[in-house]
Amino acid sequence: MNLWLGLLLGLKEISSHKFRSFLTMLGIILGVASLLSMFSLTAGMAKGMREYMQQVGGIEKVGIITQDVPIEQEGYAEISPGRTVADAEAILKSADLVSYVTPVSELQSCAITRANQLFRSFVVGAWPDFVPINKHEVARGRNLSLMDVENAQHVCVIGDGISQRLWPELPHFNPIGQSIMLNGCPFTVVGEFTHYEREEDKRRREQAAKAPPVERDRTKRKPPGGAPGGGRGGGSGGGMFDRKNAMILIPISTMFYEFKSASVVGLVDQGPNYKLDQLSFQVADTAAFQQTMNQVQAIVGATHRGIEDFTFDTKQEWFDTIEESVQSTRLSGGMIAGISLLVGGIGITNIMLASISERIREIGVRRAVGAKGRDIFMQIVVESAVIGFIGGVLGLAASFGIMKILVMISDKNAPVVELPAVLISFSFALIIGVVSGFYPAIKASRLDPIEALRYG
Amino acid sequence: MALIELTNVTKRYRVGSQDIVALDGIDLVIEQGEYAAIIGPSGSGKSTLMHLLGCLDTPTSGMMRIDGIDVSRASANKLSEMRNQKIGFVFQSFNLLAKFTVLQNVELPMIYAGVTAQERRTRALAAVERVGLSNRVKNTPLQLSGGQMQRVAIARALVNDPRIVFADEPTGNLDSKTGATILELFRELSEQGRTIVLVTHDNKIAAQTPRRIEIQDGKIV
Ligand SMILES: Nc1ncnc2c1ncn2[C@@H]1O[C@H](COP(=O)(O)OP(=O)(O)OP(=O)(O)O)[C@@H](O)[C@H]1O
Ligand SMILES: [Mg+2]
Repeated sequence: MNLWLGLLLGLKEISSHKFRSFLTMLGIILGVASLLSMFSLTAGMAKGMREYMQQVGGIEKVGIITQDVPIEQEGYAEISPGRTVADAEAILKSADLVSYVTPVSELQSCAITRANQLFRSFVVGAWPDFVPINKHEVARGRNLSLMDVENAQHVCVIGDGISQRLWPELPHFNPIGQSIMLNGCPFTVVGEFTHYEREEDKRRREQAAKAPPVERDRTKRKPPGGAPGGGRGGGSGGGMFDRKNAMILIPISTMFYEFKSASVVGLVDQGPNYKLDQLSFQVADTAAFQQTMNQVQAIVGATHRGIEDFTFDTKQEWFDTIEESVQSTRLSGGMIAGISLLVGGIGITNIMLASISERIREIGVRRAVGAKGRDIFMQIVVESAVIGFIGGVLGLAASFGIMKILVMISDKNAPVVELPAVLISFSFALIIGVVSGFYPAIKASRLDPIEALRYG
Repeated sequence: MALIELTNVTKRYRVGSQDIVALDGIDLVIEQGEYAAIIGPSGSGKSTLMHLLGCLDTPTSGMMRIDGIDVSRASANKLSEMRNQKIGFVFQSFNLLAKFTVLQNVELPMIYAGVTAQERRTRALAAVERVGLSNRVKNTPLQLSGGQMQRVAIARALVNDPRIVFADEPTGNLDSKTGATILELFRELSEQGRTIVLVTHDNKIAAQTPRRIEIQDGKIV
């Protein structure tokens, strides 16, 4: 007997017991549905997190951070000037494996004013390279220029969130050329960054825009520092780009000149503070990551006169953490789905056993007209595989339904359905179907023809 | 050489500690083209002998040869092949598959013979026509009368063109008039040269066949 006939027979048998077959498949359906949903949800989660990571600089962004000097260097640690603009200049000049480098000096709480608008936010002083390193994009106007830095110009590039707070009544106001005050000091806006958001939110916003009659005002341009993402948990919620949208970037020279030339501690001026808050660079080729680090290590080591008061802060661990958390979610989710599939498989075995004891006489007749043991075995296994197959298909369909509902009721990252996940989930159903049929099939194939014919 | 040859064939069943001798040293030769009836009282071993002849079962001891093949020592797969290719078997209780149509029932042996779908159909239709049921091919067995069911079973037995047809009380579940038409069918088949062995405990039937094999307590008398 060939496979095709076996399939037809299996389908016939299943369709003559539709409800029973459906109940049998339920375990497989649930197993496949949960397996694929879990795969897709974690893939969506990981995608959201990676997207965020990419937005904050990606794996190629490396920070140089301070660390405690080793004990043997403690005595003369003060010969190191610490992190200064000189480090950045040295890297810029000598590190050919580095594509961008910038020193960063921050002002944590600065009064931002324009007309009658006033609020406090942070201001970043840096080089133009800050923009590519941190994956910023200038949407209107221009980036800072080296000239701006050289001449300590009073110019700034502002985030879209800042424009909204400064011109709240004008949603798409072009701020280029306008003047704003930072701690009472006038700055000209020369550029505006793009509005940063999750791809997910962007898609929704565009969809909402396409369907205008629905009164779902999803102009999700949240003001910076506002209610953070409506209590959505984890770093993956919609609020994760708030800080990026609240950027005010000025030349680092201007920052030093205007805001860091005096540092008052306890009513006493400590003199200028030109220490950096950040020093970051971008690795030109991530394949040569370690070589780049070694190169920068040597350069900065020299400017610090051999004092090991700095180290590197890479995003490698972040990425590792994402992968790890995805893996562990998959493992535990997979286990639950696996148990469901296993139970489904036992259900199939059980029903197939019941089904063959109903059909002992049929098996006897088939044997009597010339069916071999292996023909009977095939018939039962194929029938069981068909149950697994249909269960798998229904499970995939159910999974798409589940994911649609999840997307509708929550604002989390949309699940990403990947082909391998579909294939894996489906193959599991098929394999379970086949394996579940083995025992009943062996039993059926070993029935003695005469005994089987005499039965019932 | 004889078509069927049994030498000192015995069949014993063990039920608990008891040994039941169903067949006790049977010697039997049936030639090509013979039409024989096995007759004997209930429990004498007729069905047991038929099952052995039909390769549905194997003897406990003795030698049994069908069409030159030693079936007493053949493997289960070989026996399946014998049943499929060389033997047609007709049961008292028809043994049709209730969920399948007449045509599908008749096609069944050809499925295991690896015949193509096209040829299965033509041959099944011819066999159904041979037993006079061409107008009922799409019916299921439960929609037929007993006599019609037995005709379907005969069509199924003939469809792989076997050398021998065995029938175990083929008229046992039929009234005498219907039974007579079935016997007529067997007579025609015999006239066309097919070897036929049937079991009956009706002397009138046995009187119609050229050869009569009487069996009692597992022995041929
Ligand atoms: N599977 C079995 N296990 C034990 N004993 C059996 C088995 N099959 C048959 N027998 C015994 O073998 C003997 C012969 O049985 P068989 O069925 O061949 O008789 P029969 O001549 O066909 O009778 P009937 O005319 O009633 O059909 C009987 O005593 C029966 O009880
Ligand atoms: Mg009998």
